[in-house]
Formats: sequence, structure tokens, C-alpha cells
Amino acid sequence: MSHFDSTRRRFLGTAAAGGTILVAPAYLRRAHAQGGGEVNIWTYNDFVPEDFKREFESDTGIKVNIRLVDDQGKQFNLLSAEQPEPTVDIMTVAGHRFLQFIDNELLAPLDTDRLKNWGRINPTFSESDWATINGHKWGAPILSGMEVLAYNTELVSAEEARSWDVLFSDKYEGRTAYIIQDMMSIVMLKMGYDGNMIAYLDDPEKAAAIVEEAKNFLIDRKHLVRKYYDGGAEFQQMMVNQDIALGHAWNGPAAALINDGFPLEITIPQEGSYGFVYTYNITRNAPNEDNAYRFLDAILAAPEIGAAMTRASGFISTYKDVDPLLSELERKSTSFSDEELAGLQFFRAEANDLKYGLVDPAVEAIKAA
Amino acid sequence: MVESDQRPFWGRLSGWGPYRSSMRLLSAGPRRQFLVLVTLPVLWVLTQHLGPMVQMASVSLTDAYPVAPGTETHWTFEHYLKFFTDRIFWMPFFRTLIFASVFTFVTLILTYPVAYYLARHVSPKNRMLLLLLLLIPFWVGEIVRTYAIMILLGNTGALNLLLQSIGLIERPIPFMYTSFSMGVGIVYLTALYMLLPLYSALEKLPRSLNEAGADLGAGAWTRFRRITLPLTLEGITSGCILVFLISTGFYATPVLLGGPSTTVFAQTIAGFFHVAGNEWPTGAAFATIMFLAALIVTGVFQKLMNGLRRGDVR
Repeated sequence: MSHFDSTRRRFLGTAAAGGTILVAPAYLRRAHAQGGGEVNIWTYNDFVPEDFKREFESDTGIKVNIRLVDDQGKQFNLLSAEQPEPTVDIMTVAGHRFLQFIDNELLAPLDTDRLKNWGRINPTFSESDWATINGHKWGAPILSGMEVLAYNTELVSAEEARSWDVLFSDKYEGRTAYIIQDMMSIVMLKMGYDGNMIAYLDDPEKAAAIVEEAKNFLIDRKHLVRKYYDGGAEFQQMMVNQDIALGHAWNGPAAALINDGFPLEITIPQEGSYGFVYTYNITRNAPNEDNAYRFLDAILAAPEIGAAMTRASGFISTYKDVDPLLSELERKSTSFSDEELAGLQFFRAEANDLKYGLVDPAVEAIKAA
Repeated sequence: MVESDQRPFWGRLSGWGPYRSSMRLLSAGPRRQFLVLVTLPVLWVLTQHLGPMVQMASVSLTDAYPVAPGTETHWTFEHYLKFFTDRIFWMPFFRTLIFASVFTFVTLILTYPVAYYLARHVSPKNRMLLLLLLLIPFWVGEIVRTYAIMILLGNTGALNLLLQSIGLIERPIPFMYTSFSMGVGIVYLTALYMLLPLYSALEKLPRSLNEAGADLGAGAWTRFRRITLPLTLEGITSGCILVFLISTGFYATPVLLGGPSTTVFAQTIAGFFHVAGNEWPTGAAFATIMFLAALIVTGVFQKLMNGLRRGDVR
């Protein structure tokens, strides 16, 4: 009996200790939240400046929990899985993906009256047509980006980089990289079509034929590409390791490399390209909605924060009065000539169902080919 | 006046009536003790291991997931049919099975001599030390070790720098983003899962068998072929199955080390979960297909190896 007592005691002790360990995180989290609470954010790397985060936490007592994401689709799927009780308060949606999130009731309309610093956003972004859907604003624009051609200036000339064709030239075989899904839009644009596919909303057969043409173009040139990549960090790494000489990139990660002194240039080639705007959005049924509004208002409060976001991410700030706060190199890496900007269009969401219904299988086909 | 109980907590608890009666209830008879002991592990396996797989299988049979508000879901086999009717998915599927088989074989060939040396030629005193040294890289995660391979094989990586410094090459060899770099990564990441079963099998092998073979005039190769190899088939089977199954599921390594022509099925599946939106059922169906295919391949392999082993006994 005494032997059994001893075993039982050990069993109970272990169970108690195990239980305590399992319960501890929930208890500690709740205990911490009793201070100023918390705000949970899904966003891209460097979109919340570290200094700002520290200061905000110390001023408000609100703990900022950041979960890094690298893709709009992943955020959509994660949030869909969590609804109707999401764990996230603020997420980072690109303007042209709004509709998908709104249609699935994942976002709450943004009450701009609760943001006294709303006016600090450049109206080009805060009041543009894509920013208002169903009579509501859905997000606070924070950074703007675009699809660019980035090239190592020691290996590729500016003349060569005037056209997207250089990405598919034999000269740079095995030394290029691109995000295949984004490249589909660019190839369609390069071929003279509407990469947003709005022009083909009434003609799905033509849309399918265009996607097929773009798909075949990329499959025929698959042997020339070194890597289909997914995130900006991968692009930076391939450039630094000299695995590639040029590639399609988002301007942010490329600009960050330029600011670090890497011999890189970015350009919008003559065939044109697409731009997008990242916005902070409050989720439907956000568990800490008040804290989310406090966070948004605080991050919009000063151009210095916008400059810090640009400096860290390389994307272009949507805030007013940021330019004077940037260094010459930072300004250079985030600005384009009028000629380049003339070819820039913004991604649009109106035909997303049609477009991605065709593009997604095409992407899989290209990868599998 | 109530006299305070000076016994320690556990002492007081064991004397507490409700506790004593509940313990009596739980430990009455060996069968009940057994049930109490197995309940938690069984619950763990059911909820943490089988639960997600069952849920994945059920998602694969629905027409939409995650479900948009106001929409109803229906049962369907269309996502399974998609795989069998659309040939574009066959290439990454079969590529995965072929890659996994080749990498498993390469891992076996590379690790067998190491395991043999460890088990047969290293003194027991040094054996643990060497095993520990081999284990050290596995203390860090898959991603970190994959990045280590990137540092090794990159254009400015150690291997290219070495080859350039000794004058063998002038320009870096593009090792990265090829099936070679992916293979190196997967073999490196799975080596331990092959090494340990092999080591275990080799260590158990009595030395006297080889000595008897030698006494009867068998050379080293014959002894290996007729004694060592057949008697370590069990370790080879376990190692190969482990490595094969792990290789079919690798995602991060092919993403980071692979190139445009090395897309594996895990990447195709992830594409449905990550990029395509609203396509979880297709991803779930494809994951189920991969799971079943891997099970069938390993089942056939195990049957084959069992046959070999039985043949050896006869």
C-alpha cells in the first residue's frame, strides 16, 4: 500500500505541475492584459517601427502582439478560419484585396471619426476611389508599393532594364527571379492586355485565352528563371548572395537593399507596372477594438513614424510631410521619374474573382510544368 | 480549540476522505488502474494526432472551406476528381515520390558506413561522444539547418569560395535552387532518422557471427553481404520508411532550396491553403491523396523487406 501511495503521490505531483504549466500562459496573458490590455496585429516585417511600438506600449500600457505575415491569401485563410471570434484586431490588407475580405465579412468598417490623426494621411491615398467601398472606409493607408524591375547595376545596364524583356533574355539565363503570381499580371500588361482583367468582365472566354497566353509565355521561358520566390526577404537574399542579377520585386525590399548600399537600381519598365497600397484594417469582431483604434491613431500621429516605416520597409509612406525626413538615398530609393510613373497603374479588385479563378490554376500549372 | 495539522500537504491530502475514496475508486483492480493510465495518452493521440487528420479528410469532402457567411456546404468528391482529371498536378506528385525515394536511398548509402563505423569500430566509451556530436546539428530546427545549407551552397557560399580559392573554378557554380541543393538539404535533414535505426540494428548484431564467417573463409565483402546486411534489414526498413515519409512531407526545404523545376507536391498543397484563398478543400484532398500514396508505398516496401528477411531466415 505504501508503495502505491508513493506512486500516486508522484502521479498527482506530476499532474499538478503539468496542469500548472499548461494553464500558466493563459493566466499570465490575462494577468498582463489587466494592465492596459493588448492589441493583436498581423502585419509584414518592419511595418510597425520598433521604437514606436516600445513608446506606445510604455505610454498606454497596451501590449502590442505582432504576428508576421507574408501573403494576403494566408491572412484571408487564417482569419476565415478564426471567424466569428478572431484573435486578431488589426491586419494588413492590400487595397486591391479589400473586396475579398469585405465580401466574406472579415473586416469592420473603419470609423474615421475615432481617428483624430486621419487627416495626416495624404488624401491621394485616404480619399482615392478604391479606399471607399459600399460607402465605408475599410482601412488606414500606411504604405504604398509597386511591382518593379530591380537589377544589380554592376551586372545589368540601365538601358537593358528599360523593358521587362530583359527578365526573359538568354543573356541572364538562370540569373533572374520573380513572384510568379504577380508576374502573370505584368506579363499580361506587357502583352498589351488589362492585367486587372476588368476589361474582360463581360468576356470570360477572352480572359481565359489571355491567361492561357501569359501562362504559356512563362512556361516557355521557365528554363531562364532561377527561382520563383514568395517573399521580399528571399529576393534580398538572392541578390546579396549574387544568385541573381535581376528580378521582379516589390519596391520595398529592393529599396531596403539600396539603402543598405547594395549596387541595386529599381525601375518601372516602359511597358508599365502595377502599384498597391497597404492598409491597416480592423477586423470584424476584433477582441480589442478600442485598443486597435488607439494603436491606429497613434501610428498615424506623426510623419516621423511614417518615415521610420519607409526607412525600415522600403515602401513609400502614405503620410503627409514624410519626404523632408528622409535622407537623399532613402528618397532616391522610393521615388520614380514622371516617365516611369506614367506607366504605373494600381491593382484593382473589381475582377478579382474572374482573374484569380484563372490565374491561380495557371500559376500551379507553370510551377508543375 | 482546533489543533492544526502539522503534516505536509501530501500527507494531509492522503488522509482527506474524499481524496481517499476517489483514489480507491480509480485504483480498484488492475483493469481500472490500466484504464486510468491509458486514458490520457489515448485522448492525446485521438485529439492531437488523429483528430486533425480526420478533420482534414472531412474538409476535403466539402465544397467550400472556410465557409463564407450565409453559405451552406455540401459533400462532394470533386476535389479528389480534380487531381485525377487534371494532369498538371501529376508532375509534382510523382516528382515528390521519385525525389523521396532517391533521397531515401542516398541517405541510406551515406549513413550506413557511418552507423557501421560507430557501432562496430568505435569503443563504447567514445561511441556516446560521437553520437552526441552527430546529434548536435539536430538541436536546431529545420529552417535554421536549411539556411545553413544555403550559406554552404550559395554563389558566395563556402563551397564555391573553396573551389575558387583552389583554382578549380573561375565563376561560382550555381548549386542553389536546383534538385541538387534540395537533395543535399533533405539528406542532411533526414540523416539522423536513418542513422539511429541503423546504428541500433548494427549494435545488436553479435560479433561472433562475423567471426564465424571469417573462420569459415568468407571475405569481408561476403561477410557483409551474407551476414551483416541481411541481419540489419530491420534497421534499414525502419530508417527508410522514416526518411521516405518525412521526405514526402517536406515543405520549407524545397521552398528555400529548390528551384522552378523542383516543385514538390507539398508546395502544390500549400498553394491551395496559402495563395489561392477559399481552396482549402482541394488542398485537403491533395494532402489526403499524398498521405495515402505514401502509406501505400511504405506498405509495399515493408512487405518487400519482410519477404527478404524471411528469405534470409530460410
